[in-house]
Amino acid sequence: MSELQEKAINTEEEPQWEKLGTQEERKWPTKTEFTPEMLVEMEKMLPSKLNRVVAASLAGCIHCGMCSEACHYSVSIPEDKTLVPAYKADRFRKWYKYRYDWMAKVFPSFVGAKPLTKELADEMYDKLWGGCTMCRRCTFNCPMGVDYGMMVRAARHIMQKVGRIPQHLQDTVDTHYNHGNNMAVPQDEFVETIEWIEEELQSEDGCENFKIPVDKKGAQYFLTLNPREPKYYPLTIQATAKVLNAAGVDFTISSRYWDLTNYAMFNGDDADAKLFATWQAEDVKRLGCEYLLAGECGHGYRALRWELPNWVGGVPFKITSVMELMAEVIQQGRIKLDKSVWAGKRFTYHDSCNIARSGGVTEPQRLIIRACVDDFVELEHNREEGFCCGGGGGALAMPEFTPRRLAAGKIKADEIRATGANVVLQSCHNCTDQLKEIIHHYKIDAVVMNLAELAAPALVL
Amino acid sequence: MENQVSHALAILEEPVQYVCLLFMASMYAIKIYQLVKKPFPPERAELKGDRTAGVIQSMANIFRPWGMESSRKNLYFYTEFMIFHIAVALTIGSTFFIPLTPQLMTPTVSAVIMVFMGLAFLIGLRRIYRRLTAPEIRIISAPDDYFAIILMTVFFAVGFVTMYLWIQGKPETGWMWVFFLMTTFFLIYVPFSKISHYVLYPFGRYNFGMVFGGRGVLNRASHDLSWDPKLRK
Repeated sequence: MSELQEKAINTEEEPQWEKLGTQEERKWPTKTEFTPEMLVEMEKMLPSKLNRVVAASLAGCIHCGMCSEACHYSVSIPEDKTLVPAYKADRFRKWYKYRYDWMAKVFPSFVGAKPLTKELADEMYDKLWGGCTMCRRCTFNCPMGVDYGMMVRAARHIMQKVGRIPQHLQDTVDTHYNHGNNMAVPQDEFVETIEWIEEELQSEDGCENFKIPVDKKGAQYFLTLNPREPKYYPLTIQATAKVLNAAGVDFTISSRYWDLTNYAMFNGDDADAKLFATWQAEDVKRLGCEYLLAGECGHGYRALRWELPNWVGGVPFKITSVMELMAEVIQQGRIKLDKSVWAGKRFTYHDSCNIARSGGVTEPQRLIIRACVDDFVELEHNREEGFCCGGGGGALAMPEFTPRRLAAGKIKADEIRATGANVVLQSCHNCTDQLKEIIHHYKIDAVVMNLAELAAPALVL
Repeated sequence: MENQVSHALAILEEPVQYVCLLFMASMYAIKIYQLVKKPFPPERAELKGDRTAGVIQSMANIFRPWGMESSRKNLYFYTEFMIFHIAVALTIGSTFFIPLTPQLMTPTVSAVIMVFMGLAFLIGLRRIYRRLTAPEIRIISAPDDYFAIILMTVFFAVGFVTMYLWIQGKPETGWMWVFFLMTTFFLIYVPFSKISHYVLYPFGRYNFGMVFGGRGVLNRASHDLSWDPKLRK
């Protein structure tokens, strides 16, 4: 029972639900095209975005072309050479060189420098929003160590600040800003959903005493969720809660800032990213939890595990993920799993870029999978070398680029098909949606599941 | 006439080179200063890996063709890259050895350098061809890219002939003049060209090693199950 509910019962009053998010709602003024005034603003902002990594990445490309085989866009759509990472990044780099390259001061064309014009800005918009998921696979294949992810994020922020951003992506950030989660789930509706899921969980055999505690102070783990879960995929919450209960994990879900997503990571707005991270960090402190536990969400994991401490200036709690926790309880023998549940099916696993390449988590997932199934086949490119599915970087929130996003998923679809897997496992909701779409688009006979959904049915209770 | 050539060549080989070298060093110092004065992104998260080890691995990436898929899949390209850059180092070295310690430039040493210059010349030609013909390379190429590779290729050709003549006991030739004139030009031009990428290389690799080493992506012992020995003891 949640603290709010207890309070309500004790005082015999209806729970006082909070207005989460900011008190004054915001609608970011987006623009449909670049104007001269916007370009002037962008010129003013550029220096502030040039930290050492971004500056070295802008100056360091030698146009060797080694990145051309690393990008899911350029590999899946080979006929369009403008999707080669170096070309895409050059839309930003040309402007940078025009401002900072010594040779460009005298001979701009000689080094490929260009002033920031509407045409160049339009190309930046097309290639850096709609042609890059900031997956950093090219970074890992760049001899010079150019960090495309950080560079593209800097460019996106400059464009976002002047209002030139895909509308739906900014709407997602605004919704989070206005409501405390990116799907505007009201607090009462969320708590009701969790209560309903708890009832469903308790109706399963052997789960009669399982709980999904809300706002439990002093719980060891503060479990966070992707808003798609309470909205569209409640069974994934049920599955996660089932595994955690079976392992005897002391966890809770907050009725307030339970959303682990942070789409400001995609639009580059550090102020919003910091605000969302601060809400969550304060909520963990409010409940006095030892761990902030990221649910199965790719960018959410990275946002919490690696970026949140930077945005809020350090945290007094530890941060881990459901994948790592599940692997740990399996290793410790705290849960037993029956592989026969999944007999006859072949599984493969897609590594989310933000969990593997930018997050450093690759083996716990495999430990979980091997504990649950016998027939597991790796994708040709896996772990930190895996191709992006095409749904990262906020791509699913940019419907204007959907045809390109689906086309860019071809390499992943081909690799899935080659495994002959019936089930594609993953640990990310953006990956879930993209994988489902490309599996349908490329006519592959497979289903998509996350790791909790894999482990929960195999539990021996 | 011969004495005049010798005297002028001596000036070109030493005082002029020193002045130009000083200029180049100054330009690089400014370039490096401009970069290091920018803030490095903070990392306050609890690290999973060793940033120092990550930096070392990242810096050593050049000697680990298996470390990147792009090298692993293009071993021929990687081999060319190594030969080309060894030739660059040897050629730069020879511009110091010839005037300062000519006794080190024995026929054997000179022959080794000459072979590398010859190979680098051929590789240069192939790289020019690639830049002109591969659509994905042509689309990202600026005049600076073409000029840099053509310049280096010509430099290797001149160096090859110069070394050959040096081995034949003909040190003071027109080829030697051209070789040192080109060296002089390089010292002045390179800080403004893409050829100066070697100054940026350590920064890029350092940044990569710091970020991904700290996150435990680099330096994983193997794909075994002991993924995180620091995980809650």
